[in-house]
Amino acid sequence: MIEQIIFIVISLFTLMMGWIVVSNNNLFHAALALMASFLGVAGLYVMLDAGFLAMAQLLVYIGAISILIIFAIMLTRRMMQTEESPFNSQPGLAGITAVSVFAVIAFIFWQMREFWPLGAGEGAMPPADKSIILGSVAKLGEYFVSPDAFVLPFEVASVMLLAALIGSIWVAWPKTEDES
Amino acid sequence: MISDWRFIAFFVVLAPLFPALPIGINLLLGPRKPNYIKQQIYECGVETVGDTWVQFKVQYYIYALIFVIFDIEAVFLFPIAAAYGQVGLFAVIEIALFIIILTAALAYAWGRGVLEWV
Amino acid sequence: MEFQVPTINILLIAPAAIVAGWGVLLMLIELFISDEAQEQWRQIVPGLALVGLALAFIQTVGLWGYDGGTFILADGHPMIVVDNFATFLNIIFLLTGALTIFISVDFLRRTGLERPEFYMLMLFSISGMMLMGMANDLILVFLALELLSIPLYIMSGLAWPRTDSEESAMKYFLLGAFSSGFLVYGIALTYGATGTTQLPGVMAGIANGGSLALAGAALLLVGFAFKVAAVPFHMWTPDVYQGAPTAVTAFMSVGAKVGGFAAMLRILIIALPGLGDVWAPALAVLSALTLIVGNVVALVQPNIKRMLAYSSIAHAGYILIAVASAPASPDGVSAALFYMFAYLFSNMGAFAVVIAIERKTNEGVMLDDYKGLAKRHLGLALAMAFFMLSLTGVPPTGGFSGKFFVFKAAIEANLIWLTIVGVITSAISGYYYLRVVYTMFMQDGDGEVAAPEALKWTVGFAVLVTAVLGFIPGPWFDIARQAALQGMQMVAGG
Repeated sequence: MIEQIIFIVISLFTLMMGWIVVSNNNLFHAALALMASFLGVAGLYVMLDAGFLAMAQLLVYIGAISILIIFAIMLTRRMMQTEESPFNSQPGLAGITAVSVFAVIAFIFWQMREFWPLGAGEGAMPPADKSIILGSVAKLGEYFVSPDAFVLPFEVASVMLLAALIGSIWVAWPKTEDES
Repeated sequence: MISDWRFIAFFVVLAPLFPALPIGINLLLGPRKPNYIKQQIYECGVETVGDTWVQFKVQYYIYALIFVIFDIEAVFLFPIAAAYGQVGLFAVIEIALFIIILTAALAYAWGRGVLEWV
Repeated sequence: MEFQVPTINILLIAPAAIVAGWGVLLMLIELFISDEAQEQWRQIVPGLALVGLALAFIQTVGLWGYDGGTFILADGHPMIVVDNFATFLNIIFLLTGALTIFISVDFLRRTGLERPEFYMLMLFSISGMMLMGMANDLILVFLALELLSIPLYIMSGLAWPRTDSEESAMKYFLLGAFSSGFLVYGIALTYGATGTTQLPGVMAGIANGGSLALAGAALLLVGFAFKVAAVPFHMWTPDVYQGAPTAVTAFMSVGAKVGGFAAMLRILIIALPGLGDVWAPALAVLSALTLIVGNVVALVQPNIKRMLAYSSIAHAGYILIAVASAPASPDGVSAALFYMFAYLFSNMGAFAVVIAIERKTNEGVMLDDYKGLAKRHLGLALAMAFFMLSLTGVPPTGGFSGKFFVFKAAIEANLIWLTIVGVITSAISGYYYLRVVYTMFMQDGDGEVAAPEALKWTVGFAVLVTAVLGFIPGPWFDIARQAALQGMQMVAGG
């Protein structure tokens, strides 16, 4: 019961920060609120026993992506005091789209209710064993390097990161004299 | 499972209190006699010149980009560190390959002169 | 620490590993090139990249006929599969890369875009495409798709700070990220429904997945439809193709599209055959829309790159016909494979001619610039006319054979209405393809044509293959059939 309450509190916090991100006129404040929202998501991961995801969220999103966003704002001239409304001109249409997408997703998950982990349905999975959850990070690490698990995606990810880095430097770095 | 995280939760609650308390006590107890000089913006002891919101150089941005890449590398390596006792020599080769490929990225950045201070 | 010999057959992953590793190697070598040697280095990088592709090609051809996989997981399914389907597609990707290098060397030098990184990024992208065809796991499919796409986003922005190139890169990146989002969501829902990301495991579990599995499959389809530029997910294509440097456009019009179809086919046939009576009609509708919109909008394009962009949308529609008929026709997959092979040469050839006419970046790409090409350079004009006929689907060209097999598969699958749509839109497409021929032969104009040796040889090679595919399609179709059969057998074998 207490877990449910904490979960709801964190969810509300995340949503509130998300609302500030989209409604605030000041981009910089929006970026700070985005960091807080990321923190809320990390909290939700903790509540769902996904410790590794929570840590990745902290390190990558709050630690790195937010910095990147803030730098991007600082790089842009006159971004700080924009007078324009952050809302687009078709709130009705956007609202209908958002609500219908939510309705579809909610419908699908309602249809799958017998598979809900703690539900009463036939397909419901029992809550995972505590030892499995505690060992899950080490298990993931083992999978990353085992040839009978995810070693190939692991190495492909490194090549992908390499390509992304070359590309970002190539695009963002000023061209040298002989090329301009 | 939540009990494993209660220390974190404890810190999450405690950490904001640390800066908030001194500031709050100051607000409550400190005498306030504002004048023009005191209300000036303070930056390294001299008056500020121009707008305090300055435009950053693009170099900072690329540092941040490189940081993101290596942050992701760290996230990938973290669970392997947790499992290091169980994995064999083959894993070490895999990790070395992973790190070498990303070191190539660092070398590329270096070679392009991205890491030079400007 | 004991050393366990890993159970990996390194030869099977070698084609993709060689291409990616060669890219890393070139990058490392470049760091040690002094400033004085830069000029020579730029001269030899394209050749070195070709050597890498050739090594991978030899390895790939050697794997023809192999049927198996490696990185076997605990449950017995491999992470990557090497069968004729994968090998056939790998050959397409490697040929695409090689032809792109041949047509782009002079073009990049002429337009001042020559940077060694171009070739390295292209190698990374090709390795991603090859993994798309071999991946047997949704996680690997996603990583391969990103490895394919990220270099392409950057390459389409190659000509920055030209605004059209920047616009192209920006639009491609945003829409590409958007489509990746759909794909990841689809993978997540599929995993939620079946409890695995392994394609054979998904096949086994999909029947109990309920609406969650359906939603996952739908999102996967949307993600791939973005990648192959099927209507209504095609909005990015014209702007991206028009703004990107023409060599990059040529590369992605074939490579990215075939890569998308590679993963789409394998996922649909291996993982989702149980939902065949759902996705096949959906794809048929998608295909009809794509054919109609692509061909009709292409009619009014004065810019040849934009026209070819809409034409590439239309050709995605023809391939989709074959995919939609795959559950009901034994030749659906092989028709798609054959069509992609023929499309590779017709389209690459057409882009080679566009590059020869293009004076500077994105100048000389209007239809008016083709006036009187027959008098200025008869050989190129004849070749272009041949490619246009092939893209229209006039016999005896590879394009005709491709359409023939596609329509045959569609009729076998009882998709008569779709065949009729296909035939009618092919007739419509004749108007804008043959207008190029008319402009080249019947109107007068002047202007320089840059046709270096490498480009001429490429055009000649493309003409030759297109003609061979047109005159004697039978043996080639048999090869495509061998490539597809094993994919289908794996369905039966489970």
